[in-house]
Amino acid sequence: MDVDALKDNDVGEVMVSHRTRSSEECMMASNDKVTLTEALHNVNVLDDLHLPDQQPCIEALSLSIHYQTNFDTNFEDRAAYVTGVARYTEEATVHSELNKLLEEGKEYAVMIYTWRCCSRALPQVKSAAQENRTEIYQKIVEVMEPLVSKLRDFMHFQIKAVQTFCGEVRRLCHKEKRNDFVSEAYLLTLGKFISMFSELDELKNMKASVRNDYSAYNRATQCLKLSVDKNHMEDSHTLSMFLATQNKIRDELQKTLVAIEGYEDLLADIISICVNMYENKMYIEPNEKYMLVKVMALSLFMVDTPTNSIYKMDQKKRISISKIDRILKELEIVPLYGDMMVAPYQYIKKSVNFDSSKWPECESSKVSPQSNILAHLEPIRENHMSYISQLSRHSNEALTTMRGKLRSSTTLATSRSDAENKDLYELALRGLQLLSSWTQQVMELYTWKLLNATDIHSNPNCPKDAETYEKSTRYNYSSVEKFAIIEVIAMIKGLQLLMLRMESVFMDAIRRHIYAELQDFVQLVLRDPVRKAIKKKNDVTKVILVAVRETCVDWLRGVEPQGDPAMRGKKDPDEGFLIQVPRRNVGSSTTQLYLVRTMLESLVSDKHIGKRQLRKDLNVKDAQNIEAFHKMSFFWSYMLNLNDSLHASCNLSLLWFREYFLELTMGERIQFPIEMSMPWILTDHILETKDMMEYVLYPLDLYNDSAHYALTLFHQQFLYDEIEAEVNLCFDQFVYKLSDQAFDYYKQMAGNILLDKRFRLECAHNGVLIEFPKANRYETLLKQRNVQLLGRSIDLNKLVGQRINAALQKALEVAISRFEGEDITGIMELEGLIDCNKLTHKLLGQFLSLNDFDAMLREANHNVSAPYGRITLHMFFEISCDFLPNYCYNAATNRFVRTVHSFVEEVRREKPHHIPHRYIWGAKTLTSSFSSIYRQYAGFVGAPHFRVICRLLGYQGIAVVVDELLKMVNEQLRGPLTKYTATLINSMPKNCRLLRYDYGSPGVVAYYQAKLEELIQYPDLRTEVFQLFREVGNAILFCLLIEQALTQEEANDLKQSAAFQNVIPKPFIPRQDGQSQKEKLELVKSVMKKLEVKYQALQVVPVIGQLGNQQQSTKAQEGDLLTRERLCCGLSMFEVILRRIQSFLEDPIWHGPAPANGVMNVDECTEFHRLWSAIQFVYCVPVGENEYTVEQLFGEGLNWAGCALIVLLGQQMRFEALDFCYHIINVYRADQKDENVKGIQIKKMVNRIRKFQILNNQIFAVLNKYLKADDSGGVELVRNFDPKPQFIGSSDSFQTSFV
Amino acid sequence: MSASQQANAIQKPIQQDWANREYVEVITCSIKKISDFLNSFDTSCRSRLATLNEKLTQLERRVEYIEARIVKGQTLD
Repeated sequence: MDVDALKDNDVGEVMVSHRTRSSEECMMASNDKVTLTEALHNVNVLDDLHLPDQQPCIEALSLSIHYQTNFDTNFEDRAAYVTGVARYTEEATVHSELNKLLEEGKEYAVMIYTWRCCSRALPQVKSAAQENRTEIYQKIVEVMEPLVSKLRDFMHFQIKAVQTFCGEVRRLCHKEKRNDFVSEAYLLTLGKFISMFSELDELKNMKASVRNDYSAYNRATQCLKLSVDKNHMEDSHTLSMFLATQNKIRDELQKTLVAIEGYEDLLADIISICVNMYENKMYIEPNEKYMLVKVMALSLFMVDTPTNSIYKMDQKKRISISKIDRILKELEIVPLYGDMMVAPYQYIKKSVNFDSSKWPECESSKVSPQSNILAHLEPIRENHMSYISQLSRHSNEALTTMRGKLRSSTTLATSRSDAENKDLYELALRGLQLLSSWTQQVMELYTWKLLNATDIHSNPNCPKDAETYEKSTRYNYSSVEKFAIIEVIAMIKGLQLLMLRMESVFMDAIRRHIYAELQDFVQLVLRDPVRKAIKKKNDVTKVILVAVRETCVDWLRGVEPQGDPAMRGKKDPDEGFLIQVPRRNVGSSTTQLYLVRTMLESLVSDKHIGKRQLRKDLNVKDAQNIEAFHKMSFFWSYMLNLNDSLHASCNLSLLWFREYFLELTMGERIQFPIEMSMPWILTDHILETKDMMEYVLYPLDLYNDSAHYALTLFHQQFLYDEIEAEVNLCFDQFVYKLSDQAFDYYKQMAGNILLDKRFRLECAHNGVLIEFPKANRYETLLKQRNVQLLGRSIDLNKLVGQRINAALQKALEVAISRFEGEDITGIMELEGLIDCNKLTHKLLGQFLSLNDFDAMLREANHNVSAPYGRITLHMFFEISCDFLPNYCYNAATNRFVRTVHSFVEEVRREKPHHIPHRYIWGAKTLTSSFSSIYRQYAGFVGAPHFRVICRLLGYQGIAVVVDELLKMVNEQLRGPLTKYTATLINSMPKNCRLLRYDYGSPGVVAYYQAKLEELIQYPDLRTEVFQLFREVGNAILFCLLIEQALTQEEANDLKQSAAFQNVIPKPFIPRQDGQSQKEKLELVKSVMKKLEVKYQALQVVPVIGQLGNQQQSTKAQEGDLLTRERLCCGLSMFEVILRRIQSFLEDPIWHGPAPANGVMNVDECTEFHRLWSAIQFVYCVPVGENEYTVEQLFGEGLNWAGCALIVLLGQQMRFEALDFCYHIINVYRADQKDENVKGIQIKKMVNRIRKFQILNNQIFAVLNKYLKADDSGGVELVRNFDPKPQFIGSSDSFQTSFV
Repeated sequence: MSASQQANAIQKPIQQDWANREYVEVITCSIKKISDFLNSFDTSCRSRLATLNEKLTQLERRVEYIEARIVKGQTLD
């Protein structure tokens, strides 16, 4: 920022172009003039605006607006400091020129580093005869010209830089000046030059593509015969020589330097200062540290000539090789530029007088400490922890006191004391140093790994044909190392964010602290040395001291205190001489700081100023004071640019840049795949191991770093585009993996929650551990709504939500598909799966916005717009194709079991193939556990199944199934069963009496057997006919059981809905002593009233009546009525079903012709119950050893069908009275004769008949219960008939009643 | 007298410079605060907009679903 431009404005009133609006109290009056105080106040109240951001902070800082000020004037304002010593002002002039050259050098370094080969893309001229070859050459020249001109500039620059550098060296090494003082900053700048030369040189060596491009251009120009100009020819020749010669710059430099007498001493000074700064950690940014090391090694290489050995210099104590040896081992490999690295020791090795014995550390085979990040991890953690806690204390303090102050006063000055400012300054400095040291750890490990690539021996996972870059990155890190890097990166990014958030507080304190230190020093501390200098008449010292003072002094109220005795070389009066030092919120300017530091340094330097060493003029204490100040103020320039320093010392962009390795592939690769890219390797490592999940956004932030530097440092759009492309790819992968994992995690969690505890325990006893997924914090990630990536704001929550929605949907579809591949018992697992998904939905729903679960289920069930879904359809399919024909009912267990022998074709179901476990139960162990649990339900169909069917099908589904069942029954009854009934009745004898007891049971059995011979022998009877009856019976049973289950479910629902229907359980109130029954009742009543009032808001009908419209209110009333009615009169579905079945029995064959006697048929076999008696006889005959009984084959469905038909035909009484088997049992009871009649063991048969009789009675009872419920009055109609004379029968008189 | 006047004349620009630079710092600091505010405003807005967007999306999906359900009712009638 231009300071001069602002000079005209005094602090006071300024115009603010727009009226600032802010909250509450600071509303301006209507005038448009805003005073500075008001404006500043307006800014300050911005802090009061509450800006909530709900998401947990787990990513690095990313700013939409990055505001950075730079007050570095590069000595432009040096002329303003007229009071400074002229010599240093001149030095500043030179310095500023050198800085400009360094800047220019950086640009050329960028150019070479980011150079991508063009010549490979150029069309080749295949033969000299090619027609368009001139055109091609012209185009090539046209395209390449700007690039080549840049190269030419580069060459000229390099010549100029070397000349300037050597010129400076020559000036400083002049005989007269050789012992003169040269400032630290100046030496460092010279060092930077050396480092720049080596960078440019190595870059030029490495980039073969630059040479190739240039030769392509050269060929083209030669072919076009453009270069006729002699100058041009020469220039192009020099340029190709320059590009082709390795180490051209370095050699040139050395050649020129050697010619300068005494250059070794200067370089030795540079080396010492580098060693000194390295050892005292006088650097902030990692790159500065590496620069120091590079300069050391390179300068040694330059100094070492045949005439001047560095080892002799070591002996003379000019330099310390042992120190350098240690440093070079400590930092074996340093980044040279981007991903290019260099081993500084290699320079030494190439030096002329190299003596390996002098370099014990570097020659030793032990591994450099820089490769071992794990050893540093624990101290890093400790430092991080202690620093963060300190910082948070200050941050809280700053936050609360700042807010408080704003409210209490409008003055801008905070009343932080000097000590507090110092504290904050030191805190910030320490933070900066910590950040930088952590960044160094990561960078040093990374560079070391780049140069020390892995191989198949050290990493068995590394394939033989792995690429170089892959060997350096992908396979070169162990899991622990990756985690360590991630952790350190997270600490860097996290702390950087925290520090940047506190930047204003820090800056305020830093400026105040620096101002105070500086002014105290020049106004108070310097008085003593000045006094002494005046007293002893050391003019030079005095001049410098006064110059220091006047360069930066800021007297209170602008007036120097008069009569300061120190200025006259006198002692202070006894009461002391009071100087009040003012305080301001501003630091020193860059030039000011430079001048002051250089002048002070010259005072305490061992070198000479003019003819003498000034240090001798100072007493020890003063010299120490000055030295301390000099040392302390080293960091001021960094601290005044805190924002800049924070960014520079946390710059990890290096981890992505790979121009060097791309160049090495010689065009094989345009770019490396993401698997070899460090940021993705780290991100993916977290995703794969599922550890440190919350850190996952930090490695992704490396892309932000790289993209930022691609644009701001490299100024290359293509690099940015490549990063962007990689980020797009990586982010997709990231979201994909993250959502999969989150889904898996919560699904497994749900599965584990639902898994039976005892089952889990039993498994554990048997050594099978079913474990909950390892606790992981996906929620923090899922809460991220604005992840910042390459300037985009990404709603991670939404992206993951979308995918998880889809996954849940798929899981539900899979559940249904699995059911579709199973028989009716699969309904149990289906419900389990739906519950599991529901729980998953609930767990995930806390963080994500998911679709309504019922809606999802309906969609999966294809039930959104269709009246019934896949579950219902498959259910019906299973019932009709498998359940009805193949299952046998048993009343004792109230279950159906599969028949031992099926009479129908086996049902084929399509089983879904290869479904990943994540969509089923979440994990393999869970799927097998639940499968074995649900296998328990696979062998039968019983009450649990029916309850589940009710829940899953709902009223609508049940209605559909029952309706379809009735249709089937109708078809059976009217179709095949009518036919068979007719045939069978025909095959029966016309008359079949109940034999007299005199025949004895064997006689009766033999009689019926003979009479029914034809029917018994009927081939289809035991197969087709029984099967048909069984199907009808099973259908009836299904309806009965479903109704029972439905009732249970409804009771449950009603209980739960009671609260909303004003059904409140009566509270228990114990009777008090002396309380009458009436009183107690009154009390209960009043309590109930109170409760009713209390829960009034819950009652649906009145609430909807109040709040809803007429239609809603009516609906609510109707619904309520229906619910209540169901409870009261027990509407029954089963009865309706029976009536419907009854209506199917229209065919006369069921009833038979009207009795000839006008009353009833007794012996005639015309009615259905007669046929059923015959059938019953057939199945009551005991079977042989290896034959299946009818119960095994058909179950009780058969009996249910027969009995139901009999009841519905109104023939129950006749059946019970006239049944053949019942007759046999009656006769057997009388005579107890157990004989074998034609293979029938009577006792056995009677036993069977007994069982079936009981069963029939039960069935009749159940059916009658349902049917009678509807009969009005329930009074049986009885008609009495007089016995007719022709009635010939047993002695028993008949009195029949029928309905 | 003249010496001290001279000294004052030399020092005045330096003194003035301190004052000016302090003024610049104050303004810079305020701009910094404004930019900080804008940044947190941005984050906060984005997060709130994301929440709003989510709610709207959910409503949309709900409406879609209900529409699909209603259409079924019509065809059955």
